[in-house]
Amino acid sequence: MPAIKLNNISRDYGLGIFGVQDVSLDIEEGEFMVLLGPSGCGKSTTLRMIAGLEETTSGEISIAGRDVTRLAPRARNVAVVFQSYALYPHMSVRENMRFGMKMRKTPRAEQEARIAQAAEVLGLQAYLDRKPSALSGGQRQRVALGRAIVREPDVFLMDEPLSNLDAKLRGEMRQELVKLHRRVGKTTVFVTHDHVEAMTMGDRICIMRNGRIEQVGPPLEVYARPRNTFVAQFLASPAMNLIPAELTASDGGIALGAGPIAGPLPAREAAAYRAGVGRALQFGLRAEDIATEAKPGTLPFEGSVTAVEALGNENLIAVESGGHRIAARVDRHFLPKLGETVTLHADLAHMHLFDAADGEALVREA
Amino acid sequence: MLRKVVSHVGLILAVVIVLFPILWVLRTSLVPAHDSYSTAILPAVTLDNYRALFADKDFGRNYLNSLIVAGLSVVLTMPLAAMTGYAFARFRTGGRIARFATLASQMLPPVALALPTFMLFRTLGLTNSLLGLTIVYAAINLPFLIWILMGFFESIPEDLEGAAMTDGATRWGAFWRVVLPVAAPGIMAAAVLGFILSWNEFLFALILNGSSTATVPVALASLQTSNGVQISNVAAGVSLAILPLMIAAKFIQKYLVEGLSFGSVK
Repeated sequence: MPAIKLNNISRDYGLGIFGVQDVSLDIEEGEFMVLLGPSGCGKSTTLRMIAGLEETTSGEISIAGRDVTRLAPRARNVAVVFQSYALYPHMSVRENMRFGMKMRKTPRAEQEARIAQAAEVLGLQAYLDRKPSALSGGQRQRVALGRAIVREPDVFLMDEPLSNLDAKLRGEMRQELVKLHRRVGKTTVFVTHDHVEAMTMGDRICIMRNGRIEQVGPPLEVYARPRNTFVAQFLASPAMNLIPAELTASDGGIALGAGPIAGPLPAREAAAYRAGVGRALQFGLRAEDIATEAKPGTLPFEGSVTAVEALGNENLIAVESGGHRIAARVDRHFLPKLGETVTLHADLAHMHLFDAADGEALVREA
Repeated sequence: MLRKVVSHVGLILAVVIVLFPILWVLRTSLVPAHDSYSTAILPAVTLDNYRALFADKDFGRNYLNSLIVAGLSVVLTMPLAAMTGYAFARFRTGGRIARFATLASQMLPPVALALPTFMLFRTLGLTNSLLGLTIVYAAINLPFLIWILMGFFESIPEDLEGAAMTDGATRWGAFWRVVLPVAAPGIMAAAVLGFILSWNEFLFALILNGSSTATVPVALASLQTSNGVQISNVAAGVSLAILPLMIAAKFIQKYLVEGLSFGSVK
């Protein structure tokens, strides 16, 4: 039995405007599920529908096997960590954590014990009597987490909880949250628009667009086999290079023609993409699958460098070739000048092909 | 340096211009009646004007009437204004029309309402009564206070109530335990404003009430008699009438400065 089951849920705002449309998703007990997508894709709305803060206009939501679709938020036994933290400003840290337990009439001794334990886990012992206004952003974030933990809910719902933190703190909190999840072991739904958070934290990620689910799966699997161009482009920075392409049969093999990247496919890829011959396609290649040196299974192409971002550990470069802009992630020692013509090598072992009309990925047959 | 001096001189001048009438009223209330119109700053100091006001004119009763009417009307209005303001801020209660109607009721000149109110209250036996005037003030102030509180509630992040409701509170519980305490400065400021409005109201107090239930503004106006204006008594009465307003202003300042930024959200 899944911990959370969303069965065809929709949020209809009227006039044909949907926040969320026909979303079905099973989230397993103890799983860390990340809802990922751009602004306005419906991920936060989905989370708020699970919490009961947003009306579910059709479909059913069950938590721990219980239909909660029409239940008030307080009856669902979920804890929400908000992007804004939403700490009660007139209460101390201790009272913030106590509030939920008080509402649920948890015995006083038990309240104290849970607060003490959460404060220890989150390093908040010294701040228990402070008001939220006297805390830093990172500390407020911990209090929000503590307030959720002490409730011992069935499910944790987190709505972009890290987005108000600076980059360094965000990285630290990311790891702490994962650790905390392992320790507490509770089902967690985590909303973010940051693909790095999604890749590093989720047991599975669910990518959404326009109120619908595009793809669900373990992060590496979704990364390796994006179902369509949207997922392919969203789940990386820089986004996957996409170039209009076609496959033609030649000399018993298959030839690829994708802008400047043209030539025979290696035998494995030729066998895998035989179904694509003669169709209008898009050729997709991630920036890291472009090499600076030739290897077996690569196709060379030339381009003029239009952008160089030296990140220290690696360089992101963009080249312009035959009217196509191609981004590449290269070694830090490969540092061309702007306008310089360079030869790069597309690693076809990691190529993707999508239908040009609907953006759906061509299934690799081998 | 010179700029600083000039700007300070300018500011001091402005303060004197603003405060002078009030200070002169205070001065007039403290000098003997025959010196009221003299230009001497303080020829003599006496409390006779105040004594006369209370002994001869029953000003104590007027003062108490005003306190009762203004205080009670605030007590009556605030819960209604808070709940309606919250409903307007959070739900689509009544839609835009309800919001507009609330504001529009404030655009009507009070005198347009005075006569119908008088006729209605005479039928109900509420003329010449403090209760009647309290109800009128509550009704007049309600839309204005709803509008003010709606603004305060709108500035409170909705996530706070979301947090309270997932924490186990009902919508009412979230309003009572989280929203109201957070909005306390705004509610206090609105209450003080409501008090001031009622305290200063003249027209309805004049039309609806007689001498035993007259409020301070009506009592002060009655000092303008066929024998002329009893300026020394008026000055004493005005000085006393300003007192609660000054205390109220102090309150408003404290709460407005405190504001709504508590660091609950970033």
